[in-house]
Amino acid sequence: MDDDSRVPLSNLHAAGNLLPTTGEASSSTSRSVRTEWPTIDGPLGLSHEESLTYARRFFKLGFLCLPFLWAVSCFYFWPVLRNPRSQQSHPRLRRYLVGSAIGFFLFTTILSSWALTFAIGGERLFGHVWGELVMYNVAEKYGLAGWI
Amino acid sequence: MDSGSVLETIGQEIIGVMAPVSVCMLLVVLLVYTVYNPSSAASATTIRTAANLVYMESPTDSTVQKLEGAILNAVVFVVIITLVTFLLVLLYYYRFNNFLLYYTRFSVFMIFSAMGSSILISIVQRFNIPIDAATFYILLFNFTILGTISVFSDGIPIIVKQSTMVVLGIIVAAWFSRLPEWTTWIVLVALALYDLAAVLAPGGPLKLLVELASSRDEELPALVYECRPNVGRNSGARVSNLGFFVAAGVGMSSDSNSSNSDNRNGSVELQNLLRNGDRGTAMEILEGEDLVIPIDEDDRTSGSEIEEMREEAGEMAPLMGDGDSIERGSSNSGRVDNTRFSRRTEREGIEMEDFNPRGIKLGMGDFIFYSVLVGRAAMYDLMTVYACYLAIISGLGCTLILLAVCRQALPALPISITLGVIFYFLTRLFMEPFVVGASTNLMMF
Repeated sequence: MDDDSRVPLSNLHAAGNLLPTTGEASSSTSRSVRTEWPTIDGPLGLSHEESLTYARRFFKLGFLCLPFLWAVSCFYFWPVLRNPRSQQSHPRLRRYLVGSAIGFFLFTTILSSWALTFAIGGERLFGHVWGELVMYNVAEKYGLAGWI
Repeated sequence: MDSGSVLETIGQEIIGVMAPVSVCMLLVVLLVYTVYNPSSAASATTIRTAANLVYMESPTDSTVQKLEGAILNAVVFVVIITLVTFLLVLLYYYRFNNFLLYYTRFSVFMIFSAMGSSILISIVQRFNIPIDAATFYILLFNFTILGTISVFSDGIPIIVKQSTMVVLGIIVAAWFSRLPEWTTWIVLVALALYDLAAVLAPGGPLKLLVELASSRDEELPALVYECRPNVGRNSGARVSNLGFFVAAGVGMSSDSNSSNSDNRNGSVELQNLLRNGDRGTAMEILEGEDLVIPIDEDDRTSGSEIEEMREEAGEMAPLMGDGDSIERGSSNSGRVDNTRFSRRTEREGIEMEDFNPRGIKLGMGDFIFYSVLVGRAAMYDLMTVYACYLAIISGLGCTLILLAVCRQALPALPISITLGVIFYFLTRLFMEPFVVGASTNLMMF
């Protein structure tokens, strides 16, 4: 994913280098440097300092039963997560991200194992409780489906 | 750049706008087509919303009654929207920016939680998905919070922001497609007309809003928080040579619970960004500072890179512009990549306001009402869906080309909606009997 997102950028660079004011040497340095953006959005994304703030915020918020935020955080800072030896990123940033990733996987495992058990086990496993827990019965009971 | 290959220069933007619109319409059609059940819908009581305050359509009414009622509904709806838009302009004029911001967040939250959940429940019921209530609500909660956050936060990938916007459009459009048929069509036409007036007429509320925002060098209030991520792909906007800015309004007034979630303002402005090629030299210095300092900080100093960044910035950045402010201006082609500089600037604490990424912006209103049209068409037949889709997309393309030519804020609804409505009725009245008749009689295919 991050590779894909970088392609247009490097193309742009190649195009920029054709202009007379920029030299060959600069292109190589800048291209190597440019891959160090902390986020997958590259120059449109956050800087390293802002990244730390947001990664920490998302990491903390994720504990409020919000594992999607962990997932988004991992996705967004994928370059940092993937390059452990990156010089530019803050060391703590990566720690938050790894924490987010672990949290997300834990949560996903627990939730999906429960959901799959519920879906596959069905009434054989849970008896009549299943019918009371399953969503479409709950919605019927409380009249939750307003649309169509 | 202006002459000749308009299509070449703005092709990427067209795709960048059309892709999300198409996805939105496709998903709405799928949703309506799979979940919508004519027999149950006929028995279901139509809810009273802002769009049918006056007249509740019932299938037994005569055509004249339906038409009159639908027109009345549309008039009331447009009046409400106009009032709300003026209210927004007023609020913005007196700088209640925080109120607008929080109101937008709140409405997004309500859309996701209330309207989105009931659509999801409909899907669950329709397909008998064996999911338990706890898991459902955990996922819904996660999704709602993620959506709400991604509307205003910076720390969210652009692609996630864009998907959130598309989902938002889908949800609202799915609700709109519950409006009775006649009312839907008349309301769509009325909104197209309203859009035309509001954006183009002198004193039109959206025109006022855009002018106000650009005179203050700010993003559009509240709207922009809604709209900005709707840009199809930001890369497209960056590469482009045409400075466009398509702003659009989603309803400022979505108090989105069951009843009137519908006051949204389906207006879009496409605003062109002036290019200012001859902005002076003093600004270059400032820019240089902006560039140099952050680079130092990041340990990547190299003079040539600065040069190149400036080069690149000049090359690919659209710029909003009345051009009085100091930020405007650039070394080469007269434009600056505001995005990058803004990040730098913020980090540095240099007080230079309003560097904003400016790409094509298409409002939620467009997404919603395009999708409403297509979704309503899907309730009749898939053939009308194809016709309407093609009409809307071509209308959107026309609007974008007009934008390239006119270089000012343009409403995106009128052309598309007009074409879409015309195509719908033509297909339904003429083409469908012909094609179906021909093919059932083995004269074709």
